[in-house]
Amino acid sequence: MRRLRSIANALIGLSATIAALALFTVTAIILADVVARAFGRPIYGAQDITTMAMVLVVFGAMALCDRRGGHVAVDLFERRFPDRLNRLLDILWALAAALIFATLAWAALESARLSQMLNLATNLIDLPKAWFQWALAAFAALTALGAALRAAELALRGEDVRSREGDLR
Amino acid sequence: MTPTVTGLLGLAGLLVLLALRMPVALAMFAVGFAGNWALNGLGAATSLMASEAFTLASSPELMVIPLFILMGNVASASGMSRQLYEAAYAVVGRVRGGLASATIIGCGGFAALSGSSVAAALTMGKVALGEMERYRYDPRLSTGVVAAGGTLGILIPPSTGFVIYAILTEQSIGRLFLAGVLPGLLLVVLFVAAVSLLCVFRPDFGPRGPATSVPEKLRALVAAGPIFGVILLTIGGIYGGLFSPVEAAGVGAGAVILIGLLRRRLGLSALWQAGRETVVTTATVMLILIAAYMINPFMALSDIPEAVGIFINGLDLPPTGVLLLILGVYVVLGCFLEGFAMLVLTLPIFFPIITDLGIDPIWFGVLVVLALEMGLISPPVGLNVFIVKSVAPGVSLGQIFSGIILFWVTMLAALLVLVAFPQIALFLPNTMID
Repeated sequence: MRRLRSIANALIGLSATIAALALFTVTAIILADVVARAFGRPIYGAQDITTMAMVLVVFGAMALCDRRGGHVAVDLFERRFPDRLNRLLDILWALAAALIFATLAWAALESARLSQMLNLATNLIDLPKAWFQWALAAFAALTALGAALRAAELALRGEDVRSREGDLR
Repeated sequence: MTPTVTGLLGLAGLLVLLALRMPVALAMFAVGFAGNWALNGLGAATSLMASEAFTLASSPELMVIPLFILMGNVASASGMSRQLYEAAYAVVGRVRGGLASATIIGCGGFAALSGSSVAAALTMGKVALGEMERYRYDPRLSTGVVAAGGTLGILIPPSTGFVIYAILTEQSIGRLFLAGVLPGLLLVVLFVAAVSLLCVFRPDFGPRGPATSVPEKLRALVAAGPIFGVILLTIGGIYGGLFSPVEAAGVGAGAVILIGLLRRRLGLSALWQAGRETVVTTATVMLILIAAYMINPFMALSDIPEAVGIFINGLDLPPTGVLLLILGVYVVLGCFLEGFAMLVLTLPIFFPIITDLGIDPIWFGVLVVLALEMGLISPPVGLNVFIVKSVAPGVSLGQIFSGIILFWVTMLAALLVLVAFPQIALFLPNTMID
């Protein structure tokens, strides 16, 4: 399981890197487009690139968000619950996350197939939407894998990976 | 089973899952998916999930969220928050409670650079709490002022709260941003007045800080000049019709990065870290929003909003009474629910009622965001309080909450002033945008 965890950590780090690179690219393109527009030469297709890159920004970091325990939860009753119940809930919600993201990955793949069949693309520079739906499916699948692994670690070893940020680069 | 009963069961299930600590977005996904499956079939529920995830993630309007968060994170990493604080201190630091007032003004300035209250509280907390401790400020005042000042982040534009509201209700982000300017400034003034008043009656809460000479004041203000320039560029750009909100966000984030790099206050590794933090925060916010788009069609199909509308109409209240009732619900819910989750869960129910009554949706947006702000410092789950606690581990939660009471009451007063005088929110959007 340790080997699986290091592979998952490497993939999670890589997908977050893709997300951060996409974010800096979006920032640079918008800034360049505004400046170029002031000289009467806006960048052709800037919005097509930035909107599609946003899919990478949003879903690229999803696995890291789950890995860090970044999802907002109402923890009003946490201290009132017995430790065993809290541990059981942690496992249950990690499994729920795995199931939800796996469903999303599968649904996104189906959508990508449909987009490919219909040749759906962005308005100006014809970026195929299927490419980004595949990316979404891959990132969702990675998040599902990370959550499933987290559930297994919690159940089998009682380890919560969310408290071990240090081993993720 | 009628659709309304299915809807009520879904809502009850959602509350149970939330109470059992299921992450808000996942609980909304689960209930929304199950509800749509029950009322519309499995195929519809699955395709809704995929289409909403892709459409929202690639929505041009929502690009402002990561860009403004990036701007705030970079501003924080490059020490701009400290410069803002020092500039505010140079102006008001000498008076009693001046450090606390400087913190509020610094928070207001930082809020104009960042769309996040958490970022504002965390950043200003790191900068200001040590200073206030050094000058023997009462910890109740020092922590309360950081937690409350931090909430300005979601009222003063750019604000992620306004973006989420705009997307959910199909309102203009630009109009909402402009509508937040005067109420934000009003709240800054009211917070400073509250601190000054407190220090008149309890001088020991906020002793005078050391005096600064005129050259020192000028140096501090000049050092903060580029930050004021970025604020002017982004908010002024939207205000003057020069940029769309998305362009303003991109230009602002780009400008803050360039300033940080050129002034050698921002290293590449700090920039990279700011980018990574930004994408993680974006994922958190966007997942809640996508989940909301799973649950909203379920609520619409179950006729719950209509049933609540009929119930409220049956109370036979005037529009202002209904407005106050809804705001009261938000203030109470703010004690238990995270702000964005509260917004996405309640707007599909309340917004149709508000529009039916002819209440201006922009004005309502400002009031709702102010109510969310109150939730950020309301016990027992006020997020900003825990942020401040993480920066000031030596101060007990009880002390922080008791320090917050003054600011919570001030916010309630501001809310009532805005209910009584909608022009404060509507003046700028109505005069600047057709």
